[in-house]
Amino acid sequence: MQDHTVRVWDEPLRLFHWTLVASFTAAWLWQGDRWLHLHLLAGWIFLALLLFRMVWGFTGTRYARFSAFTCGWREAWLWLREVTQGGGPRRLGHNPAGAWAIFAIFFLGLLLAVTGIVTQGGEERHGPLAGLFGFATGAGSHLLHEALAWGLLALLLLHVAGVVVESLQHRENLALAMITGRKRAVPAGLALDVPRRRGVAMLLAVALLLFILFWLRGSLAGGDDPFLPFVGPELPHDAAWQEECGGCHLAYHPSLLPAASWQRLLREQEHHFGEDLALDPDTVRRLQRYAVGHAAETTPTEASWKILHSIPAGTSPLRITETPYWRRKHREIEEAVFRSRQVNGRFNCDACHLDADAGSFEDGAMRLSRAAGLDDERSGERA
Amino acid sequence: MKRRAFHRSPLLAGMAPLILALGTAVASAEPLDRLLEGYRSEGADPFSAERGRALWTRQVRPDAGTRPRSCTTCHGEDPRGVGRHARTGKRIEPMAHSANPERFTNPRKVEKWFRRNCKWTFGRPCTTQEKGDILTYLSSQ
Repeated sequence: MQDHTVRVWDEPLRLFHWTLVASFTAAWLWQGDRWLHLHLLAGWIFLALLLFRMVWGFTGTRYARFSAFTCGWREAWLWLREVTQGGGPRRLGHNPAGAWAIFAIFFLGLLLAVTGIVTQGGEERHGPLAGLFGFATGAGSHLLHEALAWGLLALLLLHVAGVVVESLQHRENLALAMITGRKRAVPAGLALDVPRRRGVAMLLAVALLLFILFWLRGSLAGGDDPFLPFVGPELPHDAAWQEECGGCHLAYHPSLLPAASWQRLLREQEHHFGEDLALDPDTVRRLQRYAVGHAAETTPTEASWKILHSIPAGTSPLRITETPYWRRKHREIEEAVFRSRQVNGRFNCDACHLDADAGSFEDGAMRLSRAAGLDDERSGERA
Repeated sequence: MKRRAFHRSPLLAGMAPLILALGTAVASAEPLDRLLEGYRSEGADPFSAERGRALWTRQVRPDAGTRPRSCTTCHGEDPRGVGRHARTGKRIEPMAHSANPERFTNPRKVEKWFRRNCKWTFGRPCTTQEKGDILTYLSSQ
């Protein structure tokens, strides 16, 4: 048998295929805020691989070239009909249905990457498109990103189903062929091996490895706090705010509540959760100016936007922990955790959020192991 | 030379006590002393660190429903030690002047915290006598 096989898939193509599978799987598994930096690592690799494949479609070996398998939809349709009737003629390269699947995967994959980058720029305020989009665009893009991911998954399953059907019909393991690169040559001697192109494959592998190392450089260096490969803009701060609020508790950034809430809070400063703050009028005015000027309505962060939009119209909650978004986001955390000595109450954001003082509440700036009995798994919740 | 000049100048000799008094006044213009002088001018008796210490640990129930409170609830028994806010658990730096030289350097801040904390702890404002006693106690620690 071995004498009758021929190399169809070059090495860069095979490496591309399986790293694309791996990156899609990784991005799928690393969903959620806690793993955002890994999700993005997988996403960037996914995009880079697609771009590589585009170039390879013009510069690769015989069966890797787009010109070898591009065909009209009619041809693909006819081919599919033959499959349902027991099998069409065997092809060495991609068959017409497979070719269409490839282009569809390309199209959805590129859209997936683009919507991912728009989501990051809009919702997290970092990445190459940081600050170019508002949160509404980011949230819309997020929805689209998820829909595209499901669409792509469906397409990939269809692709796998096609591989299984064709493997059975032609008694040939096509998945194995994508590993070894070799397929049966029938009749023997008519087809020739394509070149290996090992150099290009090595280059691709090294580039991927270097990129992964670069991305994880902070994590690999160790340290107690999680490594944030990217952060959003720094929020404005006020010395008086820090001094007056921070004297008794975390100086919650004004972006965490709407302006009306801060006005009410300062107006009612004589009854501040059971305490009379005894602030002089000058100080109250200064705090008011700062709080209103940087309240949730200015939406400098994902948290501020989501808190603001979760609050029923016409209400001005005094506790951040009362807002629907806060509750939803923390619903899986047990009461015992909040009561633990390390956390000491819901209002101590900085028990888990490393950047609570800065007010940015980055997804990755979490250290849940700081809190008693809380393992990192629980933070896998979706945004 | 100086000595002789001193003797020879009745004017300079006469000014000496004045210069001395002025120097003392400058020295006592420290924020803490200014605060204490202000309380005294409002009719407080001489301040006593001993009374201040008693007030520091006095347990008071400002409302029927609340647990007894005292300065030590948040600041701890030893003013040289670190305290913890009773509700939020936030760290409070030592109150004693020896452990925290920053204390009592800003009269506005001192008055603000007296206004806030006396009300929470005792359910009423502190008298100038109480404030002076407490400050005398804490600055002696």
